[in-house]
Amino acid sequence: MALSAQAYRELAAIVGERYISSKQHILAGNRVRTPEIPFDYHSADAILLPGSTEEVAAIVKVCNKYGICFVPFISGTLPDAYANRAGTVLIHLKRMNRILEINEEDRYAVVEPGVRHVQLYPEVRKRGLSYTAASVGPGGSVLANFTSTSGDHHTQYGSSRANRYLLAVEMVTPEGEIIRTGSLQGGCGWFCPDGPGPSLRSIIKGYFGSHGQLGIITKAAVALDACKGPAEIRTEGVSPHHRVYFDSDLSRVYVFNYDNIQNVCQAMLALGEAEVCSTVQKYFYLPLTLLMSDSANDFWKKWTSGYKEAMSMPLVVHIAAQSVREREYEEKILFDVVRETGGKRLPEELENWWTEHMDYFMVVSRLQSVLRLGGGWMPIKLGAESVQHICDVGESIGEYIYEFTETGKIFDAPENYQIIPMEYGHFAHIELLFMWDRTNPAAMKGVGEFRARSREEDLRRHFHAEDVGCLNPTLLQLGPLYSNCHIWMQKIKESFDPNNVANPML
Amino acid sequence: MANLADFKYTMESCNHCGQCKWILPARMKGWDFASVCPLHEFHGFDAYSGQGLIQIAKERLDGKLEYGDGLETLLYACPACGACDINCKSVRDMEVLDTIYALREDCVEAGYLPEPLRRTAANVEETHNIYGKPHSERFAWLPPDFRDDPEADTALFVGCSAYRYPDIALAAIRILRAGGVKFKLLREDEWCCGAPLWRTGQREAAEKLIRRNVDTFRRHGIHTVITACAECFGSFRGGYPRYADTEGLEFKHITQVAAELLSGGKLRLRKGDEPLRVTYHDPCMLGRLSEKYVPWDGEIRPYGLHVPEKVWRRGEHGVYEEPREILRALEGVELCEMTRNLEEALCCGAAARDVDPEFAVWTAAERRREAKAAGAQAIVSCCPFCRDALGSDGENALPYLDLTVLLAERLKEEA
Repeated sequence: MALSAQAYRELAAIVGERYISSKQHILAGNRVRTPEIPFDYHSADAILLPGSTEEVAAIVKVCNKYGICFVPFISGTLPDAYANRAGTVLIHLKRMNRILEINEEDRYAVVEPGVRHVQLYPEVRKRGLSYTAASVGPGGSVLANFTSTSGDHHTQYGSSRANRYLLAVEMVTPEGEIIRTGSLQGGCGWFCPDGPGPSLRSIIKGYFGSHGQLGIITKAAVALDACKGPAEIRTEGVSPHHRVYFDSDLSRVYVFNYDNIQNVCQAMLALGEAEVCSTVQKYFYLPLTLLMSDSANDFWKKWTSGYKEAMSMPLVVHIAAQSVREREYEEKILFDVVRETGGKRLPEELENWWTEHMDYFMVVSRLQSVLRLGGGWMPIKLGAESVQHICDVGESIGEYIYEFTETGKIFDAPENYQIIPMEYGHFAHIELLFMWDRTNPAAMKGVGEFRARSREEDLRRHFHAEDVGCLNPTLLQLGPLYSNCHIWMQKIKESFDPNNVANPML
Repeated sequence: MANLADFKYTMESCNHCGQCKWILPARMKGWDFASVCPLHEFHGFDAYSGQGLIQIAKERLDGKLEYGDGLETLLYACPACGACDINCKSVRDMEVLDTIYALREDCVEAGYLPEPLRRTAANVEETHNIYGKPHSERFAWLPPDFRDDPEADTALFVGCSAYRYPDIALAAIRILRAGGVKFKLLREDEWCCGAPLWRTGQREAAEKLIRRNVDTFRRHGIHTVITACAECFGSFRGGYPRYADTEGLEFKHITQVAAELLSGGKLRLRKGDEPLRVTYHDPCMLGRLSEKYVPWDGEIRPYGLHVPEKVWRRGEHGVYEEPREILRALEGVELCEMTRNLEEALCCGAAARDVDPEFAVWTAAERRREAKAAGAQAIVSCCPFCRDALGSDGENALPYLDLTVLLAERLKEEA
């Protein structure tokens, strides 16, 4: 459905001619396909760049008036950011990019959607603060990080899932009303996500944020953590071989290899009990090799020359301390735990890589290098449960992955999953990230088969490992197991979005 | 050169992560100066970015998109500064800038080269310089007493900018003379380097001119070509091997030669009159885009394996340090760095001036704003096109100093 001339005029009157386009080459810039996701992609009819909440609200009202679907987006990394049906406009929020407040005393920041991690992170760090950023690279939206996905990150061991840091928000409802949640509504500031004003936190946050299609969040306050480490980052050299240096008296990285996930589990729990270390993660060793590689060719050399064996089950630990004494104390506990659980230090050259790339622990600048093998990747499971439960999930993968890897349907390895304990081991997140060959059109079939098999295996074992997600096939299969959440989601959606125009679910 | 189909792998590999638009986290300093793509920052739509242009290239390859409705203007508004390319290649094996070049070739073949660029190409064809000035005036600025070193196997290639900024060429001569470097000028045999042709996708004209220039170097017995123009230098290193065999030819920028002379104690400098706090602007074609291009014609196998192995240009080996060494050698000059420096430098926007002047003016002003924020009293660079852009009037005005000229003025004595 092409946008009517009248609707276009009304939208243009809101943002100005400069900030709307329906030209084919402009639309083509966002007419991307993500072959991993079985959407039927459509071209948007127009793209708009609003500059304020009021403009967003006015756009949404016009969309409701004409039955035009709208999809808000910032970085456009995830498939939810694109038109999935005809008669859709994209609302690109990049111009709304102000940091409105960084409150050092109460430890929160208020941002508009267009603020990126590379913009907020150094600003809060200068003030001795930090936050947990999803592993999306420098251009990821801070607001989307906290409102629209759970935002899992490698440094969450000492903190938690990003959605738990979401405070008050300002949002435009699917019908175009501007509302403020929590403390903000009562004029009490941004500090609290719940009363005395309306609390929509449980509706807008979490996995169902961007997938829940409940309007457009135009400002959000996010809680900040204290930061252990330098206020300014010292970097030397030129990309891709630049080096980031932290004070080695206060910051140390250790990588241990294990031969048994249950021992890794015990190490995670013991470290969590002692509440030491700032990062603890069982990393994927295939992406780890990719992170260390200069090119795909370099990856294949490393992968076939011992890296795989040396790092089959790596536990990456980062200690950040305020004093040498604190660092030594944490090291002592760490080494005791590792000794008791059977971990072995990796060769120095491999450990040094992490030390020299501390930016990885901040905004994961190198994360995209896991896509170096042609861009075909698929993160699955993504669920969270107790550390023990999640380690059991990981252990089971080896029982069914071989028939997919050995037949070349996917490229992976049996222990190649990531487990991030959070809140000092009170629960953990799992991610199985496998690769597939994008140059082979038939490869998608294998990807689908493996996803389905992974889900079936988890259900069969009563594992809570699979993200309920936003895609109908997964949702319909898992919804009944989660108190019929899919039905509740639909009811909430109908109440808030009676015209079903706000990024309608597939 | 190559055509669009050669970059299908890049088109299909892009995960639209946006790394092509934002400064690398290792360099992040704060909210301001975080974007590395001026085109995207100014225009806003993703089509105006490396990521968007890759999508556009894919649709052109698939025959789904036509020129004539502004696509050609978008394509040439892009200054092809390569920031997107280098940022992408910090983590990926994709050829973003070469895809843009291939898209430009496609645009030229479709007959949509914008008029100002046609005019420049006609100038080069007719007068061998981009300005359409008489070829006979190319060396009109040369002092009558200048004498070549007839046996020298080194040439100073002054470039078309000598028509506009003869002070740069004269400064280069003074530095070489002071350092005792034997060299000669190509005089009437020196033609445009070809940058405005190959960088705009005019393959046939570029190939003809570049081959002619390489033949000229060989005919004059030249082994080393020195230039004070970043655009010429970047073309020699990054463009010429696409069209001609440059084996045995060495290309140097004057800052490399000068830094070498300084470190060897061959240049004696006097102190400046006043203390000066400056920042250095890395020209795209001297910095991230000056790595040598090594032709690759192989096969990309599943999971990105390039057979035979490809030599990547990731911007790591550009000329970054030598200009800074020179500035540090100038007593009284204090160097302060901008946030976006080295391979992350923001382009000056000069390449867009003929097609999208509003954007070009904004970009130069944005760069000057960054220089001022760094506390600089002047912005120093060594590219005549950066001089055009950054030295022009406009918002955030700041004195522009050419590094070659600055160094020559500090020479204590000449050989």
